Amino acid sequence: MADQMQLNNISENNFEQCLKCSICTVYCPVSAVNPAYPGPKQSGPDGERYRLKDPKFFNEALKMCLNCKRCEVACPSGVNVGDIIQKARMNNPHKPKLRDMMLANTDFVGSMATMVAPITNFALGLGVSKAVLHSVMKIDKHRTFPAYASQKFETWFKKNAAADQDKYSKHVSYFHGCYVNYNFPQLGKDLVKIMNACGYGVHLLDKEKCCGTALIANGMYDQAKRQGETNMESMRSAIAKGRTVVTTSSTCTFTMRDEYTHLLEVDNHDVRDHLTLATRFLFQLLDDGKIKLAFRDDYKKRVAYHTACHMERMGWAIYSTSLLKMIPGLDLVMLESQCCGISGTYGFKRENYETSQKIGDSLFNAIAEADVEAVTTDCETCKWQIEMSTGTPVLNPISIIADALDVEKTIELNKNR
Amino acid sequence: MKFNTVIMGGGLSGLTCGIALAKAGQKVAVVATGQSSLHFGSGSLDLLGYDAQGAVVTNPVEAIKALPESHPYNKVGDVAAAAAQAQTLLAEAGIKVNGRATANHNRLTPIGAVKPAWLTLDEYLTFDGDKLQCKKVALMNIIGYLDFPTKFIAEGLRKMDVEVEVKPITLHELNEARKSPTEMRATNIAKVLGNEELVMHLAAEINSKAGDADMVLLPAVLGIKNDALAQLLKEQVRVPMHFVATIPPSVPGTRMQALLRKRFEALGGTFLNGDRAVKGTFAGSMLKSIETEKLEGTKLEAENFVLATGSFMGRGLVSDYEKVYEPVLGLDVDYIADRTQWTRDNVFEAQPYMEFGVKTDAQLHTVKDGKVLANVYAVGQVLSGNNKVKLASGEGVDMLTAITVANNIIKK
Repeated sequence: MADQMQLNNISENNFEQCLKCSICTVYCPVSAVNPAYPGPKQSGPDGERYRLKDPKFFNEALKMCLNCKRCEVACPSGVNVGDIIQKARMNNPHKPKLRDMMLANTDFVGSMATMVAPITNFALGLGVSKAVLHSVMKIDKHRTFPAYASQKFETWFKKNAAADQDKYSKHVSYFHGCYVNYNFPQLGKDLVKIMNACGYGVHLLDKEKCCGTALIANGMYDQAKRQGETNMESMRSAIAKGRTVVTTSSTCTFTMRDEYTHLLEVDNHDVRDHLTLATRFLFQLLDDGKIKLAFRDDYKKRVAYHTACHMERMGWAIYSTSLLKMIPGLDLVMLESQCCGISGTYGFKRENYETSQKIGDSLFNAIAEADVEAVTTDCETCKWQIEMSTGTPVLNPISIIADALDVEKTIELNKNR
Repeated sequence: MKFNTVIMGGGLSGLTCGIALAKAGQKVAVVATGQSSLHFGSGSLDLLGYDAQGAVVTNPVEAIKALPESHPYNKVGDVAAAAAQAQTLLAEAGIKVNGRATANHNRLTPIGAVKPAWLTLDEYLTFDGDKLQCKKVALMNIIGYLDFPTKFIAEGLRKMDVEVEVKPITLHELNEARKSPTEMRATNIAKVLGNEELVMHLAAEINSKAGDADMVLLPAVLGIKNDALAQLLKEQVRVPMHFVATIPPSVPGTRMQALLRKRFEALGGTFLNGDRAVKGTFAGSMLKSIETEKLEGTKLEAENFVLATGSFMGRGLVSDYEKVYEPVLGLDVDYIADRTQWTRDNVFEAQPYMEFGVKTDAQLHTVKDGKVLANVYAVGQVLSGNNKVKLASGEGVDMLTAITVANNIIKK
């Protein structure tokens, strides 16, 4: 009998496995605060049945999905609810607005802005600029733009670090991402500091493009695919040299490991296993006894860990938190895993500002109650949202480790490994 | 990564076991594949509602003694003590329940039927026998909320000789929520009503519609994180007020899941949400480590392992056209080889497949290829020998077997 029947589910994104249990809607951050959004079950597997019959059943409300993937984490039946929604959006493309193109082209806009960083930062902070952005560009006036750095990370690296890297016996390549390059080079410097202390040389990729998260979110799929292919090509050449590619952004990592194949049809099968978050890479080396870390005796800090949505989806928060828990002077508070509401460029758009802040409200209250000096998270856009909404500084776990690290001792410990 | 115990499954049984072990000082990890069946919970927990012949049970502790030898309660040892430990564990997690293991009370189902229960959340309607402590009930429902069939519930109540008046209620904010009718579910309503100010408005609305009723009943749509708002509403309503379970997703179940997880994590437990155990590495009759889907390249090593993956719905058991199997470790499963005997035509009869599950010894050790595994236990619905629907025994088996295994591990 078995050989005459379908033994495996063959539907894309597992959508026929949906039991209609509605557990996904319990954990959807949008449907909880915005009644205009039909929720993940309706937008995803339910709607898909109609859309398969006739694409005109596409509903504009699907644009309200944050792509946070918390529905997928909650689903007991393994349905890729978020991917179904994103795919439906891809199949119903819109011409992106100028604003969306600006928000999405993080590397183009970033390289322009860093050239004249003080002017850009000054201008973006002006009330009049914010008013123009708000009314003409529909970028919400409440938003604080992340400041642009006056020197790109790549420029700093080539001037100050590149020459020393070949002296190490082991090597990694670093996908720094747009945020490190244009807004916050310090995070990249922190990674170089840790890796060097552990005896690893750090190298840039031959050619790095924005991972495409913002392009996907803003409907610029062809460009995202092209950039993805460039990134995979560069990573292949790093991997061929025996290097793991590490990152310091959970969202870039998630996009390149999972969204490339699920949404963009960019082939990453030979790259995926060699592309990882730096905290995971470090934890696995420590767990295997291949490196050791030593921390300063005088380091003291109370921080709260926020699990970014894509970190939750990857299931990797355990790596960052296990690493942080090794720091003797660190008092780590775990915040309940929930969406902060920004979701990349989503929260910057005027039409989403209110929803975005409502979603984050419960997290902001939890941070206030935690009474900490800083919040730590693996995602840069969560950082912008939390800093703007709570005033609490937000640090990447890598920056905390770099700060707490006893560099001399760590170098000593890893010398002959 | 090294732990004392790794538990596969993050529902009621997995978390109960995890909390008991973490409280005893163990380093514990729970691997949870998606959210659990607690999300379908009624706000009540069953120990044993009906005996093997289908008769209503008044004293579960006594009636359990008469269950067939194959039932997992026979591996619990002192049922009354384990039940008491379960009740303490719930209270320590902030889940306030009423009830006794030696005397079932009654509850009302979302379609108005009367069922026996062991424990029920404090704010929910319970009664003894078929008498409500009132003369006239105002059965309230939120306009546009479809998961609370008031007509059925009213019929059920009237059978108990009380007068019932159905009263629709609403607030501006709830009307807004109706814009997306598919999302007008208990859990979303609970989120909309998630602050004290709105609860005060709701209390005023209820008080204005209660008329001369001496009891108000409301669908369970309040208090998704804890019981604070539900208790506040009770205090503000001028006559005794109770919640009645709704059709899922369930607010009380979601709350219990959240509070149990919070308690487990507060005790130092590691909860791996949305991950899945995929395989194990054995050395003889000992499981050394498991691997998960998300943590590729990282083995979760432990001295003991607990399988709490649930039954078919939780995919702790999988069936295909030829067999029933346990998908993570390939453990031995008790089931009927002849597929035509898995089900009975009359859907209301006891279905044989409900009793399929992994084979265990007297200490709840699992078995693989006929050999007992010294450090792999099973708890909850993945166990064989329990028809939780016919016996109304689901949560009791989950919690009591979990506590038994935790105690067995601690005693080692």
